[in-house]
Amino acid sequence: MLSDSEAAELLSFLTCHTRLDVKAQAMECILGLSGHRDGRRFLHSKPDILSALFEMTSDPSVAIVKDCFHVFINLSADETLHKVLVSQVCVLPSLLKNLVDPDYLFSDQICTILSNLSRHEQTCRTVYPVLQEQVGMAKLVEVFCDEGYNPKANLHYIGPLLSNLTQLQDARNQLMDRQRCVVQRLLPFTQYQTSAVRRGGVIGALRNCCFDHAHHQWLLSDSVDVLPFLLLPLAGPEELTDEENQGLPIDLQYLPEDKKREDDPDIRKMLLETLLLLTATKVGRQTLRDRNVYPIMREFHRWEKDVHVSATCEKLIQVLIGDEPDPDLENLMEVQIPEDIEEKLKEAYAKEQEELNKEAEENKRQEDRRTDEMDR
Amino acid sequence: MAEDSDDGMDAFIDKFKTERYKNAFDENNWEEEFDKIPMFMKKAPENFDPKEYPDLACIQALVHDEDRSPEEKAQSLKDEGNAYFKEKNYKKAVIAYSAGLHLKCADEELNIVLQTNRAAAHFYLGNMRSALNDATAVKKRKPDHLKALIRGAQCCIELRSFADAVQWCDEGLKVYPADKKLLELRTTADKHKRAADRDARKAKAKEKKVLGEKEALLAAIKGRGVKLVQSSKPRRHSSDSDDEDEGSSSALAQLNLDGLSSKDATGAQVFLDEQGSLHWPVLFLYPEHQQSDFISAFCENNCFIDHLVVMFGEELPPWDTDRKYQPQNLQLFFEDEQKESLYHVDLETSLLKTLQHKRFFVKAGTPSFIVLVKGSSFSKQFLTGKRIQGL
Repeated sequence: MLSDSEAAELLSFLTCHTRLDVKAQAMECILGLSGHRDGRRFLHSKPDILSALFEMTSDPSVAIVKDCFHVFINLSADETLHKVLVSQVCVLPSLLKNLVDPDYLFSDQICTILSNLSRHEQTCRTVYPVLQEQVGMAKLVEVFCDEGYNPKANLHYIGPLLSNLTQLQDARNQLMDRQRCVVQRLLPFTQYQTSAVRRGGVIGALRNCCFDHAHHQWLLSDSVDVLPFLLLPLAGPEELTDEENQGLPIDLQYLPEDKKREDDPDIRKMLLETLLLLTATKVGRQTLRDRNVYPIMREFHRWEKDVHVSATCEKLIQVLIGDEPDPDLENLMEVQIPEDIEEKLKEAYAKEQEELNKEAEENKRQEDRRTDEMDR
Repeated sequence: MAEDSDDGMDAFIDKFKTERYKNAFDENNWEEEFDKIPMFMKKAPENFDPKEYPDLACIQALVHDEDRSPEEKAQSLKDEGNAYFKEKNYKKAVIAYSAGLHLKCADEELNIVLQTNRAAAHFYLGNMRSALNDATAVKKRKPDHLKALIRGAQCCIELRSFADAVQWCDEGLKVYPADKKLLELRTTADKHKRAADRDARKAKAKEKKVLGEKEALLAAIKGRGVKLVQSSKPRRHSSDSDDEDEGSSSALAQLNLDGLSSKDATGAQVFLDEQGSLHWPVLFLYPEHQQSDFISAFCENNCFIDHLVVMFGEELPPWDTDRKYQPQNLQLFFEDEQKESLYHVDLETSLLKTLQHKRFFVKAGTPSFIVLVKGSSFSKQFLTGKRIQGL
């Protein structure tokens, strides 16, 4: 690692006035450091280098700024650096200001950094209040949903940022503000073909929102109408009878024969988990049954090949066709589970996961064998 | 599933879809109408007696008094318009507001109000386009004028431009993020838009289904080697597809046209049943008595004798004065117009077999057959000089 004098020299190069080739070399060195754990540990111990570095995001040379942001993306991906970045280098105000600047060239990089910083709860709790004050969740969503907002940046990573922020209750409250139109703007993006990052982020945020069962009725009501947007990515081109069609939510009726399902199995799983969350309340279960979700799931289950996703789908189908639980148990999320049963459930769940993994591996082996045979 | 809004606004607006407001001006020339109305003429008419028409005189004084500034006059006209508006006399309100705007006074705020109010008056008259134009003009000059934003969205909904309506609401919500009316309108417009999308999908699916059925029918007919002949007036069927498609789609069109143009106007047409058999409308001609019989659905697998036994079974037709049209006496022929021949048909053959004959051409979608009585003098006469062939 660098000695103290080397570190001091490096620091001296990190100014906007330094000659370009020297600056560039210094930046390259730091980029290298940021790429591995020891390098990052070193940088962690030198907050003055980090501060000087952060100043360089305003450097006149675009190439320098690009590398600079790259460094911060690497650093923000490492949780051990979060505290120094937020509290000592104080990156947030400047990042947030530039994020909502429609002409800023590096907004995408900012989104990635913020997304990294908000992933784990601890830093998320420090990031969120600053964000809420300086920008506000409503504005963040507005910027995110306005596709032409910044011609130089696609801002897709605001998706995962929203998903991360919504792990906090207050962020969810802001998103689900009944006096405003916030969460509704996200809904069309559950089918956004161009970016899986954006799509996944939006669905992640919606899933988190569905943990708040007090909001289920409102989310399922006409004011938001979240259900069709969760079902559309899972619905396929299979023809349903006229009767089945009539009972479906309007957006799912008479889908064309070229309708494709969501490509990414992780996202499919998230959608199913969100639907499952909605079935925790009586009103949710009622709504999903009344709106004819079952035929969609039936066709989906026939189509799904991934074992993990299938398993989640089966759970959902079970609830849809199962009997109503006792009145005491109506809100499944509030049921008190005795400790010994909770233990057994955990064990059963772990066992199930193991079996599913084995099954997935076996499937893969079979597939590989088949491919081998084909080569001959 | 959908709930009507509490304030009955939806029901009120729905009324405009069916009822035209009484005494409404024609949307296109209401401005011309103004000049015909004494109250708002630009120049005072030469002869009227102020004692006879005091209110007219008053208005004239108000409007045409040279001492008053344009702003004062415009203000009065605004008040005038508002008064009419309260009385639900929207036609006169429009006139008043227009007169005010026409003055082009320097008070921009006043002009905004005049135009916004006129938009409202037009809205209640059902003149959605005029109302939208006014709202748009206001929005351009004052992007944060809430009443204009709401009105614009409402007009778009009435005009079924739902995507535009959502756009208006979003523009409004940027400035007034918590406005209840804007939120409500947005939800409504979005809902209508999604319903309209569904309707389009449904129509497309139906069209596809109908087309598929027609194609299956045509394929079934062609597959059996049955030849269809187009009617003498071929219809031009415009399409971008290649010749084959054009041929089949125009043949389909012919099938439609011909099926419906059958003499009995029953609209009967050949169809494919669930078991995959064709049922044809068939015409039996009795030239001896200038009569005919129409079977609307003759299954291709049935034989002629099956039908004839029923048709000439218990009761012979009234025109058969000689009582000779008994099933066992009947002879069946089909005509090959091109070769000017008659082909004799064995009554025990199925319709399908007959249609598949290389010289059988189904004309106007309806196979037809000539029925004669064996050995009768008419049949001898009829068949003389004609080329007869067996099957």
